Amino acid sequence: MEEPRYWDIRHVGGESTHIDIDNGVVESAGTSFFDTAVLRVLAGKGWGILTIDNYASCSKADIEAYIGRAIKLARVTEEEVTLADAPSGILPVPAPREDPRDVSLEEKRDLLASIEAAARIPGIASTRGHYTEGMNRVAFLDSSGQEYQYEISRCGFSVLAVARKGDLMQMARESEHTITGLNLRHREAMGREAAERAVALLDAQPAAGGRMHAVLDPELAGVFAHEAIGHASEGDLVKEGSSVIRGKIGEKIGNEILTIVDDPTIPEFGFEPVDAEGVAVRRTEIIRRGVLSAYLHNRQTLAAVGDGVAGHARAVAGDSPIVRMSNTFIENGDATFEEVLEGCGTGILLKGSRGGQVDPGRGIFQFNAEYGYLVENGELGAMVRDVSLSGEILRTLHAIVLCAQDRQMHQGFCGKSGQSVPVSDGSPHILLEDAVVGGPGA
Amino acid sequence: MPWWVVPVHKDHDAGSVIEAILREGARLADEVEVFFGEGSSVSADLKQTIVGEAHLSRSWGLGIRTISGGRIGISSTNDPEKWRECLDAAIAGGRLATPQEWHGLPAPAHFEGDVPVFDPTVRVEIEPAREMLRELLSGAATYPADVVGGSAALSRASLILANSTGVWYSKEKTGVGISLEAISGTSTGYEFDRSCFLDVDPFDVGKQAAFYAAKSAGGTDIATGTHDVILSPIALSQLLGHVLVPALSGRNVHAGRSFLAGRIGEQVIGETLSVCDHPHTRGLGSTLWDAEGVPTRRLDFIKDGVLSCFAYDLKTAYRYGEETTGSAVRGGAGGSPTIGVRNVLLEGPRGDIAEDRAIFAHDLVGAHTANPITGDFSVELSNAFWMEGGDFDTPIRSAMLAGNVFEMLGRVDGLGRENRIVGTMILPPVRFKSMQVIGK
Repeated sequence: MEEPRYWDIRHVGGESTHIDIDNGVVESAGTSFFDTAVLRVLAGKGWGILTIDNYASCSKADIEAYIGRAIKLARVTEEEVTLADAPSGILPVPAPREDPRDVSLEEKRDLLASIEAAARIPGIASTRGHYTEGMNRVAFLDSSGQEYQYEISRCGFSVLAVARKGDLMQMARESEHTITGLNLRHREAMGREAAERAVALLDAQPAAGGRMHAVLDPELAGVFAHEAIGHASEGDLVKEGSSVIRGKIGEKIGNEILTIVDDPTIPEFGFEPVDAEGVAVRRTEIIRRGVLSAYLHNRQTLAAVGDGVAGHARAVAGDSPIVRMSNTFIENGDATFEEVLEGCGTGILLKGSRGGQVDPGRGIFQFNAEYGYLVENGELGAMVRDVSLSGEILRTLHAIVLCAQDRQMHQGFCGKSGQSVPVSDGSPHILLEDAVVGGPGA
Repeated sequence: MPWWVVPVHKDHDAGSVIEAILREGARLADEVEVFFGEGSSVSADLKQTIVGEAHLSRSWGLGIRTISGGRIGISSTNDPEKWRECLDAAIAGGRLATPQEWHGLPAPAHFEGDVPVFDPTVRVEIEPAREMLRELLSGAATYPADVVGGSAALSRASLILANSTGVWYSKEKTGVGISLEAISGTSTGYEFDRSCFLDVDPFDVGKQAAFYAAKSAGGTDIATGTHDVILSPIALSQLLGHVLVPALSGRNVHAGRSFLAGRIGEQVIGETLSVCDHPHTRGLGSTLWDAEGVPTRRLDFIKDGVLSCFAYDLKTAYRYGEETTGSAVRGGAGGSPTIGVRNVLLEGPRGDIAEDRAIFAHDLVGAHTANPITGDFSVELSNAFWMEGGDFDTPIRSAMLAGNVFEMLGRVDGLGRENRIVGTMILPPVRFKSMQVIGK
């Protein structure tokens, strides 16, 4: 039989718990169980990859048979895969302030119910609260004998409020997810905030599309960093030729006040103690003072492309590791928020986000703000709703002319190749000159 | 099943586990339901023009739902030995749920015929997947563009739905999926197809992806203004799937989250347009029974522009005194049943919609950022062209499209002749009058 030159197994088992409260009714609550592993093997040329459900019950003989199966499978591959050496090591998982497993499902339900109830204010027609909690036990083993094990729990909630006046409806949402333990206590203000904003949006006008100066709040600017540069810096896209920043290491692609970082080591929602190939995680400066300085890599893309840092491989349970972002942010600058608004002069302040998307090969991205305010002579004016921005990666990064010093991180999930991983994005307030704003208003 | 050499669940045939859960569940709860899924899939992935990865996956999972005194609990596992823990978790979850009006799980029904979701010629083996990659690549060579990646996947799944009222339904489903991504300079093209049958055309998918990449190169800018816009079935499915489909869910209607609530009998979109869910026609979602065992039927949501019904599952129907429309769907063995659609069809006057000058968009960037409650959106166009006389003319480099999904369906100017299956929708390209386009 052919001998593998490399193999690894990443086994993830655990429980997921959810509570769903809809207009005060506990729609569903409960816990489910999962157990799955991914085996990757290199023998001849490229990867043979098996996904094995209920791996925990496998014997050693089963595993050897799986390796043989993966080798056979990989005979159709043609790509000569080389893995770069990369430092190994594991960080401790931050201890939760309050372990969600120590709190009963009943108590969590009551806590979520009070956040959801706080959103029922006059003008609100519908409220919904959702809690999720996932405990993952991860075990990694590769053919060189490297072995890692850790447990991580992620939890969080969202609250949605829909306001109605006659035929007019508007919605607003607040959410918070964390790796640092139960976050349901004393969060009623977030329910109220979602509700008050939904009601206020009933009187907001749709934004008028066109080119204008835009101030982005930390949440939206974080999504901007994620969409406008994060994806394009992923080593697999660079390797396969679908990133507009391929071959641009060392080039100035943005304003010199701009530094953009991906850092899996910080205790935010995208934290990883070790990457999905057993490589030590590291802070990576994608852009440093406007200059493209590193791509995000796994071992294979580092070997193929160079110019960057391995340790950015991530995988959801049951899927193979691919290059991903973790905690991505624009570093603080030296302006105050007031200076950013003054610098804007006449334009728009955009807040909150319903997400975004990028075509990294074309270099075009789109992202959406939940709401915003018109800015006139540096002063905030009327509220507007449903504002999107689009831009070109290679032009827009030069248009960031001011960064404030008030960076905040926001949590979300990022989808790529059918895998949705927890991430956080963040930024200080930034000023984007001549942004292309799309809105349905005339 | 010669392809799989290692027996994974040696001592567990699914039938005996399901029977044990039904037996034990009936002791602990008023009613119990098991949804079981087992499947295998292979895929081969292109890295540029060569095969980089070969995947094989095998899945096994079951979901349990219990109902006691109107309290519904749910849990799932992929470990056959954990079924007791899973049953206990479902019952424990149910204790927390608010009790609701409940009149029982469905009893067994008799079905005539079957729906087309199984192709015995689909072999879950890597070689046929490899062969499809070859054809994707030959198709892509038709136009001057570089291949970035691609994929071909083959799958087979068995599903069983059983409940304590005597329902024991099973079905086999096959799947074939192909995709190719190409680039020419900084202009990208992506095409894909999915089917339950081996009727996909890899050569054509590869050719189309390369066509869009090559044809979009050298695009020109466009001024902000009002234009007629033709959306491809792909682009349209994203907006409808994100806004219109949720608005038709009975749960969203009664929870105060649907723009269409309270409008039954009113004209809500253009009077020449109809929207239905047809679970018995050929599509990716075709099924005779829904995810909780209720017989499915065609649902005419909107007829000639007039809203006529919403979609219900058992839980929502019992709660609000409505009838289930057989609209329960599940994401997999692990998911709870929710209200969904199987094959959404849009009908209206067909014709040659690209004769008069208009902007055509093959895809959208950011359709998921549309406001799902109000339907307002502004998205970036992908592979956008001026079209005239039925032909692609100049490519447009970059533009945003802004509008409202409901309002836009009131200004449809014609449907193309050809339908295309995109996920749970079967749609033609559609021409919309006077849309707001934001240029650079």
